[in-house]
Amino acid sequence: MNRSLWWKIGLIVAILVVFVVVLIPGVLSDEPIRRGLDLKGGTHLVMRVNVGDALRLEVDQASEGLKSQAAKNNLPVPTTRRINDTTFIAIPPAGISTTEYERLAKDFLPSFDVSRTPEGPLQFKMKPASAAAIERDTIDHAVETIRNRVDALGVTEPLIAPESGNRIVIQLPGVDDPARVKDIIKTTAQLQFRLVEGNPASDQKATLDSVPANMKNEVDVLPGTATDELGRSAGVEWYAVRKSVPVSGTDLKTARVQKGRLGEPNVGFSLTPDGGRKFGDLTGPNVGRRLAIVLDNKVVSAPRINSKIEDQGIIEGNFTTQQAADLALVLRSGSLPASLTTLEERTVGPSLGKDSIHSGVLAAAIGFIALILAVIFYYHGAGINAVLALLLNLVIILGMMAIFKATLTLPGIAGIILTLGMAIDSNVLVFERIREELRDGKTVRAAIENGFSRAFGTIIDTHMTTIISALFLLEFGTGPIKGFAVTLLTGLFASVFTAFFVSRVIFDITYQAQNRPQTISI
Amino acid sequence: MQIFVNTNYDFVKYRFVAVAFSLAVILVGVYLYWQRGVNWGIDFAGGANIALKFKGPVPIDRLRADLADASIQQYGKPEDRGVLIRLPRLHQEGDYAGQTVAKLLRDLNPGADPAKLDINYWGRDKLTELLASVDPDNKGSRADARASYSKVAENIINKRSEVGIFTNMQQALSAPGVTTGIARVLNERTYLGSFNVLDQETVGPQVGRELQQKAIWAVVLSTLAMGAYLWLRFDFMFGVAAVVCIIHDVCVSLAFLAMINGEFSLNIVAALLLIVGYSINDTVVTYDRVRENRRKLKTRATLEEQLNLAMNQTLSRTILTSGSVVIVLIALILFGGKVIHEFALILLIGVIAGTYSTVTIVPAVAIAWNNLTGRKHDIAGPAARPRVEPVPPREEPTTRKRKAV
Repeated sequence: MNRSLWWKIGLIVAILVVFVVVLIPGVLSDEPIRRGLDLKGGTHLVMRVNVGDALRLEVDQASEGLKSQAAKNNLPVPTTRRINDTTFIAIPPAGISTTEYERLAKDFLPSFDVSRTPEGPLQFKMKPASAAAIERDTIDHAVETIRNRVDALGVTEPLIAPESGNRIVIQLPGVDDPARVKDIIKTTAQLQFRLVEGNPASDQKATLDSVPANMKNEVDVLPGTATDELGRSAGVEWYAVRKSVPVSGTDLKTARVQKGRLGEPNVGFSLTPDGGRKFGDLTGPNVGRRLAIVLDNKVVSAPRINSKIEDQGIIEGNFTTQQAADLALVLRSGSLPASLTTLEERTVGPSLGKDSIHSGVLAAAIGFIALILAVIFYYHGAGINAVLALLLNLVIILGMMAIFKATLTLPGIAGIILTLGMAIDSNVLVFERIREELRDGKTVRAAIENGFSRAFGTIIDTHMTTIISALFLLEFGTGPIKGFAVTLLTGLFASVFTAFFVSRVIFDITYQAQNRPQTISI
Repeated sequence: MQIFVNTNYDFVKYRFVAVAFSLAVILVGVYLYWQRGVNWGIDFAGGANIALKFKGPVPIDRLRADLADASIQQYGKPEDRGVLIRLPRLHQEGDYAGQTVAKLLRDLNPGADPAKLDINYWGRDKLTELLASVDPDNKGSRADARASYSKVAENIINKRSEVGIFTNMQQALSAPGVTTGIARVLNERTYLGSFNVLDQETVGPQVGRELQQKAIWAVVLSTLAMGAYLWLRFDFMFGVAAVVCIIHDVCVSLAFLAMINGEFSLNIVAALLLIVGYSINDTVVTYDRVRENRRKLKTRATLEEQLNLAMNQTLSRTILTSGSVVIVLIALILFGGKVIHEFALILLIGVIAGTYSTVTIVPAVAIAWNNLTGRKHDIAGPAARPRVEPVPPREEPTTRKRKAV
């Protein structure tokens, strides 16, 4: 055998080894080929973030801000009305010039464009850039919140990604409790007011030790963020809070950022009438004690109750302005910045996933074996050559999927065996060509040579057309279809390599020129 | 073994019969769509699908009464106790399937103790929580307590996945890792609900509309892209013939879908796109041969003769390749399960239509085009029409010159 043939054999063996190694569980990951939702069970959700919620809140706050600024500047307070998600109008009392208000708005509402309407009232429209920024923040915040919640559930390899059109795509493979996961994603935050027992400490045990013996079974120990004198976060602090939840987020009417006596930001909230009565009952007998504000089972702050609170209160807690704004936002709408609407859901239960993979793999195996038998029956020796190329093709497809972390879906399995069917096409083209050349009286070596070189252009053309349609599948497809397109594309590239290069090398080894082969099994 | 060696069929002669036959098939499809409308699946129409598996006999009448506007059918063998529920489109976005399942849970599990957990419906997470809160094995606050309960819960749910649905508590108790304490919790704090959700899908009206548009664009654009590629690689006539051929294959497949009254779903669109890409392969191979022959032919030949020659030369390859793909598709249809079934069926029709159109429709279009444009694609011999200058193929202009003189 000549030198270049050895090189080619070496290359093929190297490729084979690499792709087999990446398929061994534990080399790249414990599950070399990721199974899609349809095979593993799990949930695919597309949610719309209703960004209008966040915009309306911003507009409402702006109109309230305008009123309070007017009062501070000894101007008559205008009446305001929101007319859509980004616009409100202010109607000054009769006879008052609008100029003063315009000046105020310039100073205090920089993110709004002010215009005078013919009827007299001033129109405040949020600047497009500001509205876009709020929408972006809302989506980011929603993605972050959902990610935190999903992570807390311990879902492996979740996908949570924003999409155009204010949408979030959530994929949770392997979840066998999709109903619960959905509940958790969509629930707005759990806000609770609970009394603190004992003293907070930096470890759970110390906290629990500080609780009186008779109360030990009545408390939960929850984490909170400790802050130093300068308001910087300083590690975790544990709070023992009572299990009973006398007042919760549903009792809240509104919440907003305020300035304290020294200008420090805090969060003011007001309560529903029913909530106010409950809050009075809670705070009245407990003046002097600490009340924990618990959000999603974390202590946000634990202020001391200074007096009985009935209809509204203030949450103080060394906040930065941003933190206070976040907290107010969270309190207003739960910890999701805006409500979510389900646009699309595809959930596959774990048992169906097992069924699908079973029948999919069975069908693939039967199809593959039938293909192998047919090829060997028709082409004998050359058929074995084609089958070897085909097996290598299969290994390359699977290996590529492992390397690029592509997901194997049910249509993907169909895609793989279909690709193998097409890979055979390349071999058939070459073999038929070789047969033709033999019929024309060429020698075995010349027939092989011509067969490969003449079929090459055709093979490239047939692959290109299929690659074009696979690219469209990739561009327009969703979910499992994308997985199908990926396997198809990988397989097409692999098939040019195996049918052309590998198969040729096998022929070269079998029918070496110096042996002057007279017959060929084809 | 060899088949179709040195054949000499006159394919071109039958092209009008074939065109008539194809038109007939497509017209039947058009008629069916016109009569019945398109059977849009929820991917495009919006709506919801729910597949349930029942513990006992399927309460089909109860379901029908409960979900008045849904279409409800049993599937699989009767002993599988499976039900498919298809809910029509809503005009509002929302968690349609989820709400329906919640309603069924209430209605079909009457008298269930709300303090107990339905382990035919809920999964590992809820069960872990229950076990950890009761703590039957007295693991207390040890760090691994939750993890070990989670493991047992996973085993129990895996057991459920194996049997499809628990029909008696004994099945749950036989899962690995269930201690007597855990068994007591299962017996006292859980119950077996009447059904298990195999899958549920909701597609809102907005997403449905978008998917519909995307699908149409994908098929149209990929067809045009294919035509453009072949125009570049070969010539304009062939690009046109190929596009007509693709449209034919897609139309025949759609007509077949109408005949079996199949649902038009995303998977069907994927199948159509594949047909667009794959069925053209035969045509490419054939035309490649036409081009090659044109360089070699010394005698004069009409386009009809060139096409016949190329089709006969590539016939065995065409049959073999289509045959091997058909083998694979038949395996998919027979054993692939319900999700793949319709996808593979349409693909099969598309592949057959693609092979058929290569030897019938493509020549018909090419010959018609050739006649319309002054028979430019015939190979002119020395005596034939000296004034008609044939378009020289780019590859070997020298051969051409020698013949034309």
